[in-house]
Amino acid sequence: MIISSAKPFEEIIELLKDEDDIFIIGCGACAAKLHVGGEPEVLNMYRLLEEAGKHVVGWYVPSAACSVASFSSLMEKNPSIKEARSTLIMACGSGVSIIARMSDIPAYPSNNTKSLGGLSQGEVVSELCAMCGDCKVYYFGGICPKGQCPKQLLNGPCGGSIEGECEVHPEKDCVWELIYKKLQKMDRLDLLEKIWTIEEIEP
Amino acid sequence: MILKTGPAYNPSMSQTFKNKLISDDFLITAEVSPPKGTDLSESIADADIIRNWADALNVTDNQRAVMRMSPVAVSKNLLDAGHEVIMQLTCRDRNRLALQSELLGAFALGVRNMCVMTGDHTTKGDHPGARPVYDMDSVQLLDIIRRMKEGHDLAGNVIDKPPAFTVGAVTNTDPSKNMQMMKLRKKSKMGLDFIQTQAVYDIGQFEAFMEAIGDIEVPVIAGLIPLKSAKMAHFMNENVPGINVPAEVTQRMANAEKPIEEGISICSEAINELKELCRGIHIMPIGKHVNTPKILEIAGIRKKNND
Repeated sequence: MIISSAKPFEEIIELLKDEDDIFIIGCGACAAKLHVGGEPEVLNMYRLLEEAGKHVVGWYVPSAACSVASFSSLMEKNPSIKEARSTLIMACGSGVSIIARMSDIPAYPSNNTKSLGGLSQGEVVSELCAMCGDCKVYYFGGICPKGQCPKQLLNGPCGGSIEGECEVHPEKDCVWELIYKKLQKMDRLDLLEKIWTIEEIEP
Repeated sequence: MILKTGPAYNPSMSQTFKNKLISDDFLITAEVSPPKGTDLSESIADADIIRNWADALNVTDNQRAVMRMSPVAVSKNLLDAGHEVIMQLTCRDRNRLALQSELLGAFALGVRNMCVMTGDHTTKGDHPGARPVYDMDSVQLLDIIRRMKEGHDLAGNVIDKPPAFTVGAVTNTDPSKNMQMMKLRKKSKMGLDFIQTQAVYDIGQFEAFMEAIGDIEVPVIAGLIPLKSAKMAHFMNENVPGINVPAEVTQRMANAEKPIEEGISICSEAINELKELCRGIHIMPIGKHVNTPKILEIAGIRKKNND
C-alpha cells in the first residue's frame, strides 16, 4: 500500500484560505486502512472545515481515489460535486493526481505521501519497496535494501552502523543485519556473495 | 593564454606510495582536512608538520557530510607543496558522470592514489536537507575505476590515456560483523591496492580481523585516532561507527594526570603492536597533527630524508 499521513489541519486551512465550496474526496483503499482518508476521517474533515468557516458542498469516498474513472462517475455518486469550486483529496499523491486530471477545479492534498509500504499485525511498515522497476528482492530474503537502506546499497552495508542500528534512522535496525539473519535462517547466505554491477541495477 | 600546470609536481615522486606498497616498509599515512573556506594555509601547514614522517596524506571528501573545499583542489595544492596524496572519493555527492569526471580531473592534476568509500549520509552533516546521491556504491565505484584504468568509461567508450590509479578502500575491523567482512571481500575482488581501516583501539580484535581476512592479499593500513580524554573515548564509543575503545583504555585515560600525554603513549604502544600485524598505520587526529611526530618518534618510527 501507499503510505501517507495527514497534514496538520492548520496547513490544510492555509492551503484552502482563498477557496470555498469544497468537495471532499476520500480513498477507500490505502488511506482508509491508514485512517487518513476513510469515511470517518472525511466526516471529521467536513466538520473541521465547516467549523473553520468553510462551506463544504459534499463528500464521497471512492473505493480507491487512484482508480476513479471520470468526473461524471463522481457526479453519479454525489451530484453536489457540480457546485464545488475546489476539491480536497484525502488520499496519496496518485489519488490527488488522478482526480486533478479530471477537471479544472483545483484539487488540494490533505495528506503527505511517504512510501510504498504495508500494514501488518496492526503495524504500519513504511519504505518496503523503492519501486525501482527491476525487482531483486528474492536475493535479499524478501527484504529490499533499495527500499529500506537510506543509501540504497545492494553490495552490502556501509560502515555507518553503530550496534546494528541504521546510521540514518538509529531507531531502526540496519537492514543488512535483517537481511543477513533472514538468509542465515533460510540457509541461503550464498545469495549475499553476488557482486551487483552498476549495469544490473536500475537507478 | 598559456596555463602553467603544477610547478612542483613530479610524477616519479607521486609513484612512491605505490612502490612502497609493494615494498616491506611499514607505511605511515595521515589525514589532512580541506578547509571550510578558501584559505589553504592551515591545511598546508598541517601537512608540513608531518612532512617526511608520512608516506602519503589522505585528503578527505566532505567528511562526516560537512561541506568543505573539494579534495581535488586540496590534493593539487599538497602535491605542489611536494607531498604525496591519497585523495578520498565518496559516492554520496556525485552520480556516475561526476565520479568519472572527478577521477579524470584528479589524475590529470597529478593525483595517483584514490581511496573510495560510500560516505556518511547527508543527514549526518551540516546540510541535512541535501539530496544524497549514492548512484553507485563503493564496490561499483571500485569496478568503474578498474574499467577506467583498462581504458574504458562506464558506457564502454574509450578513455584517452587511462588514469593509472593506485586504489584503496576502507573498512571497519570488527570481524564479527559478517556483512561488513563480506563487503570487504567484494571490494578486494575489484582489485584493491590497499585497505585503510577505521580507528583501532582494541588490538586483540584487530588481530582477529587480520586473521579473518587472511585470504585477502591486500596491504592493510590500520587507522588510529589519538585520544585526548576519557570523555572523547566515551564519545567515540557511543557515536562513531566502527570504533570500539576497550574499557581498560578508557580507564587509562581517566586515571591519567596528563591525558594528552597518555593518549600519545597509548597510540605509540598501539603502533608498536600493529607493526607485527599489518602493513602500516593511518593517523587521523581530531584537530591538527601537532602531536603526530611525537607519537611516531616514541613508536620508533624514523623520519625520512627523501628530499
